[in-house]
Amino acid sequence: MWKSIVYKEWLKIRWFLIGYTVLGLLGIGYLFLTVKHGFTFSGGKNFWYGILFLGQQYFSYLKYVPILGGLAIAIAQYFPETINKRIKLVFHLPVKENSVLLMMHGFGFGSLLLSYCLIFLVFLGFSAHYFPYEIVMAASITMLPWFLAGFTAYFIVALVVMEPMWLYRVLYALSGGFFITFYVKSALAGAYAPANPGLLVLTVLLSIALIFSAYRFRKGEM
Amino acid sequence: MSNVIECKNLTHYYGKKMVYENLNIHVREGSILGLLGKNGSGKTTTINILNGFLQPRSGECLIYGENSQHLTPANKARIGFLIEGHIQYSFMNIHQIEKFYSGFYPKWKPAPYWELMSKLKVTPNQKISTMSCGQRSQVALGLILAQDPDLLILDDFSMGLDPGYRRLFIDYLREYAKAENKTIFTTSHIIQDMERLIDDVLIMDYNRVLAQCPVADFMGTFKQFNFELEDNPANLKKEKFVVNLEVVKNKIELYTYESEDFVKKFFASNGIECKGFKLVKMGLEDAFIGLTGKY
Amino acid sequence: MERISRYILVLVTIVTASIVLPGLYWMAFEKPINAPFVMYSCINDDFMIIRSGVFSDKKGNKYSREEYEQKLPFMNYRQLMVAETMPDTIKGVAIDMHELSRTKSFYRFKPDEMQAPKPALYPLLESESGRASLEMPDDFFRITWRMEFINAENNTILEEKSRMFSAVLYHKGFQFPARMISGLPTTRKSCDEGYFVVDASYQLYHIKMIKGNPYIHKIELPEGLKFKNIGCVDFRDKEFYAYLFSDKNEIYVIQQDTYDLVKLPVEGFVPEICELSIWGDLFNYNAIFKSEGQIKDVVLDRKFKKVDEFNETWLKKEERFEGKAFSSLFPAQLSLDDKNSSFISFYFQKSKGFNWLIVNLVLVLVHLGILRNRKAKYKKHLADLVIIAVTGIFGFIAVNFFPNKFFD
Repeated sequence: MWKSIVYKEWLKIRWFLIGYTVLGLLGIGYLFLTVKHGFTFSGGKNFWYGILFLGQQYFSYLKYVPILGGLAIAIAQYFPETINKRIKLVFHLPVKENSVLLMMHGFGFGSLLLSYCLIFLVFLGFSAHYFPYEIVMAASITMLPWFLAGFTAYFIVALVVMEPMWLYRVLYALSGGFFITFYVKSALAGAYAPANPGLLVLTVLLSIALIFSAYRFRKGEM
Repeated sequence: MSNVIECKNLTHYYGKKMVYENLNIHVREGSILGLLGKNGSGKTTTINILNGFLQPRSGECLIYGENSQHLTPANKARIGFLIEGHIQYSFMNIHQIEKFYSGFYPKWKPAPYWELMSKLKVTPNQKISTMSCGQRSQVALGLILAQDPDLLILDDFSMGLDPGYRRLFIDYLREYAKAENKTIFTTSHIIQDMERLIDDVLIMDYNRVLAQCPVADFMGTFKQFNFELEDNPANLKKEKFVVNLEVVKNKIELYTYESEDFVKKFFASNGIECKGFKLVKMGLEDAFIGLTGKY
Repeated sequence: MERISRYILVLVTIVTASIVLPGLYWMAFEKPINAPFVMYSCINDDFMIIRSGVFSDKKGNKYSREEYEQKLPFMNYRQLMVAETMPDTIKGVAIDMHELSRTKSFYRFKPDEMQAPKPALYPLLESESGRASLEMPDDFFRITWRMEFINAENNTILEEKSRMFSAVLYHKGFQFPARMISGLPTTRKSCDEGYFVVDASYQLYHIKMIKGNPYIHKIELPEGLKFKNIGCVDFRDKEFYAYLFSDKNEIYVIQQDTYDLVKLPVEGFVPEICELSIWGDLFNYNAIFKSEGQIKDVVLDRKFKKVDEFNETWLKKEERFEGKAFSSLFPAQLSLDDKNSSFISFYFQKSKGFNWLIVNLVLVLVHLGILRNRKAKYKKHLADLVIIAVTGIFGFIAVNFFPNKFFD
C-alpha cells in the first residue's frame, strides 16, 4: 500500500525533482567555472587568501538553492492535494490518516534529501579538487543550515498549504518565513558551528508540523 | 437487518447559525437512501460528518458500528466515496489511477472498471484533467465499482452530467447495488434521477427532517389536491393537516398526508366552498417541492 | 500526535518571536552610545577627552580643535606640521620624524576576533628575501599531525618542505597539533616575523622562514602560563613581537630576540567582552579598554610601567530608559548574533528584574477573555496559560497563531 502512495507522489513531483536536481547540478558546474576563472586570473594563492583572510565565499551563490528546492517539491506535492479539497481522497483511503500523511511527507523529504545529497556531493568533489580540507570543512559548516532551510521550507509550505483557513495560512507563513531567515544569516565561513545542532533539532521537530493543519482540516475548520 | 449507518442526535452549528438539531438518521443494510433538501439545508454537512471531515457540535454517526470520526482502515475499505464534482486525481491518466487505487483494496476488481473505461473515448495517456465532466464521472464510478465497497456514499452524483451519463450512472448503480446487496447513501439535486434509484428517502429542510421513510410509503401518503376558492384562504395554512399551501390568485394547491375524504369533510364542516377539487398525481420532484415549498 | 505537532509549532514560534520582536524593538528604539575618546597628553601629563564633538581634559576645561590637537602632538603630527605648530622638542627630547614613525604602533583587539572560526591555514612568508617588498608565497601551511605546506595552485602537499619544517619542530619538542597560530598574514608590514604557535601542551613557539630554511624557537614560559590569544603587531622599532593574553586574563608583551615576557600592569581585562586598543608613541603606551558601560585608559611608559589611569562609566543599554522599558515588556531575548562573537549561536539574555511578569499576567487575562468568548473550557487550556505566564508576549502570539482546538 505504501507503494501506491510512493507511486502517486512520484507522479506528482517527478519532473520538479529531476528538473531541480539538474538545475542544481548545473549551478554547481557554473560555480566551479567561476572558481576556475578566478584561479586563472588571480592565481590559486590569491583565491585561497581571499577565502581564508578576506571572508570571500566562493559558494555563496548556493545560499537559496536548497530553499527553492524545498518550496518546489512542497508545492508540487501538496498543492494538487488541496485544490477542490482533494485531500479528502487521501483521508478516505483505508489507512490511518496520519500514517498516510507521514508516508507522503517522508517520500517528499526523502526525494529532497537525495537531491541535496547529490548536489552537495558534486560540490564536495569539485571543492576537494581545488581546496584543502579546512576550506571545504568551513564551507560545509556554512552550507549545512542552508540545506536545513530547504527541508524547513518544505515542512512549512506543507503546513501552510494544508491549513483550511486563509487567516491562519497567513499567520503560519509569517511565522515560518521569519524562522527560515535564521538559517541564512550572513556569517563568516564556519561561524554557524555552534548554532547548527539547535537548528538541526528544530528542523527535525518541524517534520511533523503538517499533522496539525491536516487535523484542523479533518475536523472541519473553515 | 442491521443499520449500516446510524446517526444519533446530530447537532451542528456554523458559528451561531444552526444547521440542524438532534437529527436522527438510519440506513438499513441493502437499501438505497436518497437525501433530498434545498441548498443550505445541511446535505453536504451530513456527508462531511459521515466521512469524518467534520466534527458535529454534538451527537455521533456510526458506520458499521464505528464512530465516523474515527473509522478504522478496515472499515474505510468497505466504504466507497464519491466526492461532489467527481473529484479525482486529475494529474493521473486512467491507467495510473487504477494502479494507484488497486494497491489499497485487497478486494479490488479491475473488470468492472475496465468495462466502463472501454466505453470511454479517451487516449491511453490522457490525463483526467483534460476529460469532460461526464468522462470524469465515468472514471469515478468505475473506481468505486472496482473497489467493491459494501457501502457507497455519493455526494451529488449527477452534478455537471448530461442526461446520458446520468442515466448510465443510475442504471449501473442500481443493478450493482441490488445484485450484491450493497447499501447506498446518496444526495442529488436532480430528483427525477433519485426517483429511479432510491428505495428510502430522507427529506431535509432548514433545521429539521421533514420525512424519513421508504419512497413508496411517502408517495403513497403525501398528496396534492388542486381546487379554486372564492375567499381568502389565509386561515387554511394554519390548519394542522395542511403541510403546505400554494396560492395563485384563487387557484390553490394543497399538500397533505391526510386522505381525500378527510379534506372534503373538513371543508364541509367549516363551510368552505371550493370548485374543481381534484387529486393530482405527483412525481417525487413535485412531492419534494410540495413538501418544502417553492422559494 | 496532533497535540505534539501543535506544541512543536508553538515552540518554534516562541523561538522566532523572541528573536524577531526584540530585534524590531531595538531597531526602533536603540540609541547610539557615544563612548568618549580618551588619550593621554604628554604635554599636559593629563588625559584629553572628546565627548560628542566637545574637546576637554579630565578637569573639565574646554579646548578648541586646534588646542586639542596641540596637546596630542604624536597623534596629530601631520596636521601640526601643516599648521606649523609642531614643537621642536617635547619634554627635552628633540622631535625627529623618523623616530616618531619608528616608535608609533597600534594594536586593536575586538572580542569577536578571538571568538571566531579560525582559518587554520596560513602563508609563511620569506622573512629575508633581500627584496624591498614582501611577497606572498604560493603555498599555505597547516600544523596538524605535522607541519604541512600546500601549494594553492594545484592543491598538493610540498613533501620536502613539510618534512623539513616538521622535523625541526619535532626535535624542538613541539606537541602536535597546534592549538593556535598567530601572525600577520599580509605583505603590508615593515618586515615579516613569522608566526607564534601554541602547541597541544600550551608550549609557545616562534616559527619563521629564513632564506627558505626553518627558524624555530621554543619560548620558555613560566610554569602554568597558558595563552588564549596572541596579537602580533608590526612594531617598526623592532622592540616587541606581540601582545599575548593569558588564560587568567593577564596581558603580556613579548620582546624581540630575547623573548622576555613583560606583564602589563592592568587588571580586570576580560577579552571575551572587552575591546582593547594599545596606542604606542615616543613616550607612552595608551592601553584603552572599552566594554559595555565603561572605558578605561591605562597609560604606560616605554618600559610598560604604569603612569596614570582614567576611568569613566555610563549607563549600560539595559539601564537606560529603553532598556528598562524592554525589561518590562519582554521576559528575555534570544539572538543569533552577539557583538562580542563572530559565531552564530542561540544567545539567550534574561531581562533584568521581574517587571515583565505584569505584562505576562495581563496577557494571561486577555487570553482568558478570548477563551471565554469562544466558550472554551479553561481546564483544557491550562498548558497554554502557563506558557503565556512564563514567556509573555512570545507565548501569547504562539498560542494564538496555532489555535488549541482539539475535539476529543
